[in-house]
Amino acid sequence: MDPNDDQQRLDERAKRQEWRHALDRSADLRAAGDPTDPTAVAATPPPPPAAPAPDPLAAVEPAPFGAAAAVPAPPASAAEPDPVALAQPLAQPAHVADPADLVLAARGLRVAFSGNEILHGVDLDAPRGGVLALVGPSGCGKTTLLRSINRLTELAPTATIGGQILFDGADVYAGGTDLNLLRRRVGMVFQQPNPFPMTIFDNVAFAIREQAKRRPSRGELMPQVADVLQRAGLWDEVKDNLDRNALSLSGGQQQRLCIARTLAANPEVILMDEPCSALDPRSTARIEELIVQLAGSLTIVIVTHNLAQAKRIADYAAYLLNGDLIEQGIAQQVFEDPANQSTRDFVAGMFG
Amino acid sequence: MPVRLSDRIGVGIAYVAGTILIVAVAVIMLWLIVQGLGTISWDFLTGEPAPGTLEQGVSGGILPAIVGTFLVVAFGMAVAFPLGLGVAIFLTEYRQPAWLAKGTDTAIDLIFGVPSIVFALFGLAIFSQGWLSFISNPVGDTGMATAQSFFCSSLMMALIGLPPVVRSSQAAILGVPDQQREAAYALGKGRLTTIRRIVVPGARPGIATGIVLGVGRIAGDTAIVWILLGGAVLQAPPDGWYLPWNLMDFLRSEGSTLTTYIFFSSPAGEGNSPGPAYGAAFVLMVVILIVNIALIRLSRRKIGKR
Ligand SMILES: Nc1ncnc2c1ncn2[C@@H]1O[C@H](COP(=O)(O)OP(=O)(O)OP(=O)(O)O)[C@@H](O)[C@H]1O
Ligand SMILES: [Mg+2]
Repeated sequence: MDPNDDQQRLDERAKRQEWRHALDRSADLRAAGDPTDPTAVAATPPPPPAAPAPDPLAAVEPAPFGAAAAVPAPPASAAEPDPVALAQPLAQPAHVADPADLVLAARGLRVAFSGNEILHGVDLDAPRGGVLALVGPSGCGKTTLLRSINRLTELAPTATIGGQILFDGADVYAGGTDLNLLRRRVGMVFQQPNPFPMTIFDNVAFAIREQAKRRPSRGELMPQVADVLQRAGLWDEVKDNLDRNALSLSGGQQQRLCIARTLAANPEVILMDEPCSALDPRSTARIEELIVQLAGSLTIVIVTHNLAQAKRIADYAAYLLNGDLIEQGIAQQVFEDPANQSTRDFVAGMFG
Repeated sequence: MPVRLSDRIGVGIAYVAGTILIVAVAVIMLWLIVQGLGTISWDFLTGEPAPGTLEQGVSGGILPAIVGTFLVVAFGMAVAFPLGLGVAIFLTEYRQPAWLAKGTDTAIDLIFGVPSIVFALFGLAIFSQGWLSFISNPVGDTGMATAQSFFCSSLMMALIGLPPVVRSSQAAILGVPDQQREAAYALGKGRLTTIRRIVVPGARPGIATGIVLGVGRIAGDTAIVWILLGGAVLQAPPDGWYLPWNLMDFLRSEGSTLTTYIFFSSPAGEGNSPGPAYGAAFVLMVVILIVNIALIRLSRRKIGKR
């Protein structure tokens, strides 16, 4: 990795700190023993909500069968209803200061398997940077939503997909999308750690190798491999064993290897589908720590069943119920003072 | 220990079946060893067949037959393996268009089921056409070809070697978990890269089993050799056949394999030399066993250091 990149990442991160809402996770981080994370101490007060700017996303062509039926998501933290915002079906969510800071947005996303509709026109907003937690009861469509973002859903031949996923403002379902590029820019970590049956080195190198026209040598790849293993917090454990079978690692190490592998493709967003559900508490804590660290330089959208975990790591949260997005906004708000009754019940149930 | 009676009966049947199988194989091997080992000598392995195949003890060696078996196996699999793997990948990873997939599936089943002599006969009809005489030899000036050569027989051998390669590889490819494919796609890898780097390596042991079965089928076939290679058991290969400039001529010529040698020298053939027949059978078995073990070993590559 070139050092300029790192500097740039830090700059971006500092910039984001200015408008990002303060999060009460310092206590949790201190418990996890992470002295390096600046967010742990920087409990800046939330900036005043910016004046609602005209939403460029609202101007986007409505999806073929999506937008008409799309229920406008209730503005999560709007104190006084904004008549302009309510008039527009694709209202500017109240928690985002600047629409250009939406890295991902679903607009009227509908997904059906064999005609059985699973997502009924979902509008999701993922602000750039930070962690967005997707929560909701089992079977509500969280995985389906996540997999629709990097277009894995369509691998199932029975799937039909409507609506839009805007990544940096461009619809990934538009014709001419370079699928492989999209999936490198939007990486994914799965619920079950799934390293390839290769050596640790090859697992990471696989992500880099085939991108290059020429097959780079091991020596050329080593700096990059070492860098992502370091960023995934696995380097110290494996640096003497890079030629060991990846499947001989522990589950938690395997999952960090999968994260390293994803990082090797140099993504801007990482989608994570319950990445800790197959892991023990210690490994879970390590990965949570890692997620918070990574969120300094990229955006993470994570599905989790563990509300305590969501509270520890999330900056934003979205609540999905039976294929409808019920509520989204600042994590603290959604978890502690939700606007919607069903969110309230869900959150209470998760803690209860 | 199973408690229910039906369980006990099931286990009993399994034991009996397994035991019968092991005993049968052991008896066959022992019989071959006892009968064949006496014949086997350096001269037998490296000599050329003598006219004395008709008389015990002076029947000469089996080197040309070993070379012949090696050639039809190598050439046959050189076609059957890449083709079979390609078909298996098509049938598992693509399956589009559906009619082609269905048709291929049926064709493979048919080839698997039809006895090789049918293909041999068909090959004779094809390869005896004059314009194909470059893979065998012209028959005088009749405008026909002999249709008997290593090339002709290997091409038909490829056909009978194909189904086991396809079916074994197919099963192995299906056994590669979808999570692995998705992991590769999620890293921005295309379908082809995923197949080449993840699916095929993951299916290696099964693919190797397919090759082993194909090799066994080809090495054991007699009908195709008989019709498309010629029963030229007494015919020694031309001097210096292995020299590069003679090789082409050699491959266009008739020859023999271990199976035809066994047939000839057995009391059923024109010979009356069960000794050499058993010896050759033993060699054939050992050769196939070695190929088996080597391929399976090679396919089970160890990943990294321990
Ligand atoms: N490939 C598929 N084919 C058919 N139905 C599917 C497919 N994938 C998901 N579904 C259905 O979609 C619904 C939502 O599934 P999804 O996996 O998205 O839920 P989830 O919110 O992730 O649940 P969980 O929390 O249990 O992981 C389920 O009813 C499931 O049966
Ligand atoms: Mg799920």
